[in-house]
Amino acid sequence: MYILKRLGQAFVTFVAVITVTFGLIRAMPGGPADYIRARVMRNRGSEGVSMSEINSLTEAYTNFDPSTPVYVQYFDYVTNILQGNLGQSVSFAGQSVNSLIIKAAPWTIFLLTIAILLTFAVGIVLGAVMAYREGSRFDTGSTVLSMFVNSVPYYVAALLLVYVFSIQLSIFPQSGNYAVGLEPGLTPIFIADVFYHAALPVASLVLTGFGGVAITMRGNSIQEIGEDYIRVAHLRGVPGRRIAVRYVGRNALLPMYTNLMISVGFMFGGSVILEQIFAYPGLGNYLLQGIHARDYPLMMGIFIVITAAVLICILIADLTYGLIDPRVSAGEGKEAY
Amino acid sequence: MQRKRTKTVDDPIFEVRDTTVSFDMERGESKVLNEVNIDVDRGEVLGVVGESGSGKSMFASALLDAVVDPGVLTGDITFHPESGEAIDLLNLSQEQVKQVRWEEISMVFQGAMSSFNPTMSIGDHFRETLAVHDYDVEEGMERAEELLADLYLESEQVLDSYPHELSGGMSQRALIALSLVLEPEVLVMDEPTAALDLLMQRSIIRLIRQIADERDLTIVFITHDLPLVANLADRIAVLYAFEFVEVGPAYEVLTEAKHPYTRALLNSTPNLETPREQMRPIEGAAPDPVSVPNGCSYHPRCPLADATCERDDPPLESDTPEDGHVAACHYVEKVPETVPLTLQEVKVNE
Repeated sequence: MYILKRLGQAFVTFVAVITVTFGLIRAMPGGPADYIRARVMRNRGSEGVSMSEINSLTEAYTNFDPSTPVYVQYFDYVTNILQGNLGQSVSFAGQSVNSLIIKAAPWTIFLLTIAILLTFAVGIVLGAVMAYREGSRFDTGSTVLSMFVNSVPYYVAALLLVYVFSIQLSIFPQSGNYAVGLEPGLTPIFIADVFYHAALPVASLVLTGFGGVAITMRGNSIQEIGEDYIRVAHLRGVPGRRIAVRYVGRNALLPMYTNLMISVGFMFGGSVILEQIFAYPGLGNYLLQGIHARDYPLMMGIFIVITAAVLICILIADLTYGLIDPRVSAGEGKEAY
Repeated sequence: MQRKRTKTVDDPIFEVRDTTVSFDMERGESKVLNEVNIDVDRGEVLGVVGESGSGKSMFASALLDAVVDPGVLTGDITFHPESGEAIDLLNLSQEQVKQVRWEEISMVFQGAMSSFNPTMSIGDHFRETLAVHDYDVEEGMERAEELLADLYLESEQVLDSYPHELSGGMSQRALIALSLVLEPEVLVMDEPTAALDLLMQRSIIRLIRQIADERDLTIVFITHDLPLVANLADRIAVLYAFEFVEVGPAYEVLTEAKHPYTRALLNSTPNLETPREQMRPIEGAAPDPVSVPNGCSYHPRCPLADATCERDDPPLESDTPEDGHVAACHYVEKVPETVPLTLQEVKVNE
């Protein structure tokens, strides 16, 4: 029952997002229909174009026909998107938005997955060690460092890393996802090169992200260490290592599971500037190109994909939280947002 | 089974000598247990009574050598197991501590709800405890189920539950079962009924009494609630300002208290029979552990206090040691007339 309810909520949210995108497209002055009309006229001159031809072109690109009433347009738009058809790209001639997204998304997902996993792994371990050495110089030093790196924006770190490691020292490549001329495939050289190119973008996300995780983990762990049941466990003879992992670690981690899933959404948003800096051909890069070229279908398509990704992550967080934390059994409805 | 009810301690399971717990604080050294001496008899239920901040919980922790950092525990606590040699509790190796704690001397805390890891099932707590002490888990779980059943719990259902799924009374009983699963000789209970309502308190007390009788347990029961232990304890020890001020058989302490503090405590206990005008709180406040008054620590609040009390700390003794009832007061013989007990009849369920 709970699952159905949550799925229903997610669906409604998704449709609402589509509606807002639809409204935005129509509300924007010089919207896609005008843009397409202008392009067609520029290409062929004003004589050889009929209004109905422009309308059908607009429909192919944006999924709605401007000559029909608004509610029909809306219905067409929503059904098309729900069927997985995001329209045709204007700036990348002859390519559907779907194919562009399918091409770009794996790179973004690859980058973000590694970055998020590393951020949380480093942050959690550091935070736990800080908590166990609460008040020591290591703890104080790490807290200051974590606070500092956490307040550096990732794009500043990215620029700094590019400047130092690729421009000055030439250790890492400046841009791209793999070396030009390399044949894509599951060869060791290609995979190694992909990681080599991902190093700097990933580093700029991890270096600016782990501090926040560490501080949260430290706080949660210190609170756990002070709980009565930790003392009782010591008296019961439970070994310290087991208490650290099974009691303190696990209980401190559980509330951060939701943070992890939500951070996926934030990182998708962040990928726009990051991929621009590294000229990394991911979703963010295409989104920015779409904006520059006034490629509305592409923009909207990527917006919707990012929204869907965030929705799915939060949905997964909600549906699985009860499985990993017995205090929240499904049905009680602890929601991530 | 008939319990022996001797008045004096002739087979001590614990000998506590000059035991002090101190904390170094900025304001000075804080002694939260001040050179206490007491014996605990094998198989008895000793009630330790005191108001909050009198050192009760520290006494409980001391018996398990489990004083939390940065507290320092000094003195001698000797534990005499049923069989085998006497154990010096305060000089144990890591390995020995593991063999004594929970296996020989176990503890029940106040706030059972917070004594369980919220993300582990109750059954896992039992299994974990058995496993880390190298006990046979299967056999131990059978014992656990019996224990839970003896405490009127649905054992299977409780073992499968998570702590938050149990009520306060249920988790308190589950915690008692957990503390007994390794079959210890001594159970130290620190305010085990504090968070429960009156009816649940009574029923838990009855269960504790029953379990103590069935299993030859020695129980040190720590509470602030004097009438509560009246039904449970064989002997009562009264703590005031981090020292024992009176120790004696329960019935005598309740009906013929020798120390003015114990009497004041009895008089301040609310009950239905005493007219409201006669119920009195004890004037003043309990002393701060950093600045315990010189001499008798109770003298600032005592109606009998004079220059002697301000100067000399009275020893915990009696002219007639054979009745096992001792009090730390210079004027024991003057106490009954100065501090009369308002409630003459104390009901003790024999």
